[in-house]
Amino acid sequence: MQSQVNWALLGLVIERPSYAYELARRFERTYEGVLTLSSVSHVYTALAALRERTLIEELPGTRVGRQPKPHYKATAKGHAGYAEWLVGQVDEDLRRQRLFVLALSTFTRDPHAALGMLARYEQACLTEAGRSPIAPREEVCVGDTRALAGRLLAEESRLAIGAKLAWVEYARQELSVLADSRTVAS
Amino acid sequence: MSVLELQRVTKRYREGQLERVVLREVSLRIDGGELAVVWGLRGCGRSTLLRLAAGIEAPDEGDVLFEGRNLARHGEGALGAGIGYCQKSLGSGSQIVLDVVMVALLAAGVSPAQARSRGREALERARVSSCATLRVSALGAAERVRVALARVLAHEPRLLVVDDPVQGVDLLDRDGILALLRSFADGGLAVLASAGEATGLAGADRTLALSAGELRGPSPAQLAPVVELRPASVRQAGV
Repeated sequence: MQSQVNWALLGLVIERPSYAYELARRFERTYEGVLTLSSVSHVYTALAALRERTLIEELPGTRVGRQPKPHYKATAKGHAGYAEWLVGQVDEDLRRQRLFVLALSTFTRDPHAALGMLARYEQACLTEAGRSPIAPREEVCVGDTRALAGRLLAEESRLAIGAKLAWVEYARQELSVLADSRTVAS
Repeated sequence: MSVLELQRVTKRYREGQLERVVLREVSLRIDGGELAVVWGLRGCGRSTLLRLAAGIEAPDEGDVLFEGRNLARHGEGALGAGIGYCQKSLGSGSQIVLDVVMVALLAAGVSPAQARSRGREALERARVSSCATLRVSALGAAERVRVALARVLAHEPRLLVVDDPVQGVDLLDRDGILALLRSFADGGLAVLASAGEATGLAGADRTLALSAGELRGPSPAQLAPVVELRPASVRQAGV
């Protein structure tokens, strides 16, 4: 299953069995700025896809009344599949990073241009690092899972940016040596 | 006029026969209410940059201006006239925290009663007033940093210079220190800090990278909104 929306929705069903409309609201709150639903009907399509793959199932007794709200819960296969997808994000991150480095490497014939690109990339990293929210411990409310998710996200971003900035230092040194050698040769 | 301005500052160190350029034509301006953080790998010259900014060292070339005055021409006097350089070492572990904060005030001729009052207020601002009567040896890493900051705040600086404030601080306590620096800037102080880890850049108005003696960074960001830090009652009392 390729759809990030489908996997993210499965995660919400695992968190708490629910019905389509409520899942759409929770989706918007949880993944704001990261994933978007085209409309509420997007959730119905995603739930149908998850059911088809037996990753979720309808909770018995919830399709009743004048306005039935069938609730969904994750199956054992859904739990296992979700865990696998989460761990697989490491590969996805590495793939994205490889793509960036390979794309930058196309500039190595012109190391000065590559250094310029690197400087812009560094600036973007520095700006992002400054924007990272601060969450002092004294203001932390234990049990506030939404705030906890925010802190985990902030920390992951900060550490990732730290690694990128250190890599920029390394790349700059490599490219500077290359640029100097080209200057001497010419 | 900026609180701090470095104009094409170069600093060199001699290592035997060799001369190493630590800072190369570095320029930087920091205004009141601004938090600027310089990130760099070990040995990149972060500490040198901060010592120059505080007037502890003089540049080989270029000028360091504090509120428009050239620090090189004012010598160490500038340190007592609005620049607070935060040293994390608190001295003997047997000392009482409030005494640590008060001692430099007393040395500067402030009366014991006033020194005590200003010391307590500084500890309050650094949100570590509960430790006032403890011995230094009883403090945790984050509390030590807060006390070190309080010791500087007691002198009412207009520029605060802090070298890697979150180094050695527990991960979960780190943001408390960063929030404190942010609040100082929101209160109108110009703050220049360094960070050995990029996580220390969080919340900064301006983030800069230092390597090979060159300072790089995005164009100055919009300043954060100024929020009153000190309670109105304290301000009215003129403390």
